Amino acid sequence: MKTITYSAMLLALSTTAHAESFKWAGTTDPQTMDPHAVNSAPVLGFLNNVYEGLVRRGKDMAVEPALATSWEPIGDGEGWRFHLREGVTFHDGASFTADDVIFSYERASSEPADVKGWFAPISEVKKVDDYTVDFMTSAPNPIFPDSIANWMIMDADWTASVGADLPNKDAGNAATLQANGTGAYMLKDRQPGLQTTLVAYDGWWGDDIGNVTEATFTPIQNPATAVAALLSGDVDMINPVPIQDAARLEGSAEVEVIKGIEARVIMLGFAQGADVLKYGADAGKPNPFLDVKVREAVAKAINVPAILRTIMRGNAEEASQLVSPAMRGYSTAHSERPAFDVDGAKALLAEAGYADGFSFGLKCPNDRYLNDEAVCQAVTAMLAQVGITAELDAMPVRNYWPELREDNFDMYLLGWSPGTFDHEHPVRFLASTPNAEKKLGSWNFGDYSNARIDELLPMIQSEIDDTKRQAMIDETTAIYQSEHAYVPLYIQPLVWGTRSNIDLTQRPDNFFILRWASVN
Amino acid sequence: MLNYILKRVAQSGIVLLVVGLVAFSMFRFVGDPIDNMLGQERTVADIERLRSDLGLDLPFPVQYYKFLEGAVQGNFGVSYRQGRAVSEIIAERAPATLELAAVSGFLAISMGIILGVFTAIRRDGWASHLIMTVSLIGVSLPTFLIGILLIYVFSVDLGWLPSFGRGDVVDLGFWSTGFLTQSGLLALILPSITLGLYQMTLIMRLVRSEMLEVLRQDYIRFARARGLSERVVNFRHALKNTLVPVITVTGLQLGSIIAFAIITESVFQWPGLGLLFINAIQFVDIPVMAAYLMLISVMFVLINLIVDLLYVFVDPRLREGGI
Repeated sequence: MKTITYSAMLLALSTTAHAESFKWAGTTDPQTMDPHAVNSAPVLGFLNNVYEGLVRRGKDMAVEPALATSWEPIGDGEGWRFHLREGVTFHDGASFTADDVIFSYERASSEPADVKGWFAPISEVKKVDDYTVDFMTSAPNPIFPDSIANWMIMDADWTASVGADLPNKDAGNAATLQANGTGAYMLKDRQPGLQTTLVAYDGWWGDDIGNVTEATFTPIQNPATAVAALLSGDVDMINPVPIQDAARLEGSAEVEVIKGIEARVIMLGFAQGADVLKYGADAGKPNPFLDVKVREAVAKAINVPAILRTIMRGNAEEASQLVSPAMRGYSTAHSERPAFDVDGAKALLAEAGYADGFSFGLKCPNDRYLNDEAVCQAVTAMLAQVGITAELDAMPVRNYWPELREDNFDMYLLGWSPGTFDHEHPVRFLASTPNAEKKLGSWNFGDYSNARIDELLPMIQSEIDDTKRQAMIDETTAIYQSEHAYVPLYIQPLVWGTRSNIDLTQRPDNFFILRWASVN
Repeated sequence: MLNYILKRVAQSGIVLLVVGLVAFSMFRFVGDPIDNMLGQERTVADIERLRSDLGLDLPFPVQYYKFLEGAVQGNFGVSYRQGRAVSEIIAERAPATLELAAVSGFLAISMGIILGVFTAIRRDGWASHLIMTVSLIGVSLPTFLIGILLIYVFSVDLGWLPSFGRGDVVDLGFWSTGFLTQSGLLALILPSITLGLYQMTLIMRLVRSEMLEVLRQDYIRFARARGLSERVVNFRHALKNTLVPVITVTGLQLGSIIAFAIITESVFQWPGLGLLFINAIQFVDIPVMAAYLMLISVMFVLINLIVDLLYVFVDPRLREGGI
């Protein structure tokens, strides 16, 4: 008893003695405070500080208990049982029970919700008692707990009382501007596009929290302004730091640059469903990218280490497959990417009947990924060295996706960050034969198709045994690698800047978790 | 005369309609908002549903008609990005832009006139030459660069002024003002200099050349011959006659101060209408873009209309001829 009182006193002392405010800036303002309305990193990353899910991700991205204290499979994979944490209260004081979980499930899986895809495997959700909930799945689903780490629980009564029963992305509702979660921070003030203020929640159930009591987020779109704001001390942290400024900031004693590797793999894709080329001098001629030798030649012609050294200034890592090594299901057996080999590429092109090269169109975004246009320019130059001419067309991302959806490309650049942190995710979205009804291959713009991968995917999704599952993922990886379905280039870097008196943790999904930040 | 006024008003209305039509026909090329509104795991069905919910599947004349229908009832739609009424967002952002424009307009006029008079009276002094040279730099450097330069000198190196934002504002209910707090006033300094510098240089050079012209006139010589003090000659006689063209030009520049604010606002992350517009373009927030463009064109059309109507009172021929 004495020790408990002592440590409680110490805790109280330490929090009052170090009450600190913190200011940070990012490029994108979260467009809503509704955790079910928009499935995007800026929204989910920000709301992870305010709302919580049944499970959450730790500093190493591993799934750990949050509003559920434990979970276990039901029977032979008929579903998952979650045991809920008792004594948790929402920011308005209401207590957290199974009813809130059921309500949040219904809300998040409703038609207007943008996150409903997470619940596609769920057939039914049952309340066992006030602190136990069963999620029944139509087929065994080993990664379900991993896939709902960003599914946030809302209070049933509060949400209904403010009239936000369903998310509304088009017209907005009360939950767009207000929040009532169980997280370590409460939403104090929300001015969309201008400033959002969070304050520490005294009633939070956890103790893994730094000394920040009030935090303000400001979106700053202009990179030069953000760097100046950090240097002048007007903000304590910025994300991202422009890569070209990183070295200069590292030279300053007052700021620190925190570098890491994001979960995002940058790759090239090919039009594999088109019979003819659409762009360049050879438009209308048969599509060379249907030949695997040509795709392999492209993979060999690109000098990825040179791109990383010059354009990424040594901040990124080479990629061999559709996910980074930090993801679950990464195939260690296939971790080699084709070596840079100009002669090999030329030989392959000659073998395929393109000894004299050809000309085609390369589509590229210019404001989506770090230095994306510069990377495409480098790719164009490298392909020219093996005799094939890419006509580069770079455009803002708001024009880019419509072009890809219309199949207006011969080759394109794409970045992919798996929402579930599992290799199954890009296989489902990028390597499966597009099928709108089954919701497969929705980002497979190039129409890559392999019958065996389509067969393996449902098996991977429902395999409980980790070894067997990994064997199937390895097989899938071997297929898409040997067919050069995509040419993975590199894993995008994460570069944050902080004042030197700030301690924080950078998570590979580019989420900034405020409770891990401390001001010294 | 009534005929003339009605004609000008009708013409202004047509200009507005055409501006709107051109804007709406351009929106298709700005991009597609759908991908910004839906996440990674969206399906083809989601895309189609949202597109038809927003009316983006309709041909642009129909979209334009729907916009006009709402606009005449004061309803500019809901922002795709914020999920709030556009009129509400614009009312929230307008004070920031108008306060910035007012301060930089005031700076431009007062400094422009003072420096213009000074360089005209002391036309061969070293200070005048210095001012003229510096003003040349001010007029030829892009706003973006001047803003970043000022931030690095006064915020990063000297640490005197905030590098971005509007500081603390006081909400008066219908208007949020930065004039009432110290941080709000400090935050105004750099952006208003950046925004007003070009206009200041323009006014200064105008005042200087007009003043030099006036100082050569006979009545100034007679005033000097009468033994009036330099002060009275320069300020009561010369400056007064200089100001007529200056007022005309300044009035027309007021509109461009608000329109030029886009660049200054994005450099200083100033939470006004220009920044709102830039963000709306990036997100393809069509309702916000449409409302902003209409607002700016209404403003320019109104200023021109007022100028045209003022001619009626200035030029008697318009009044009697009944053109």
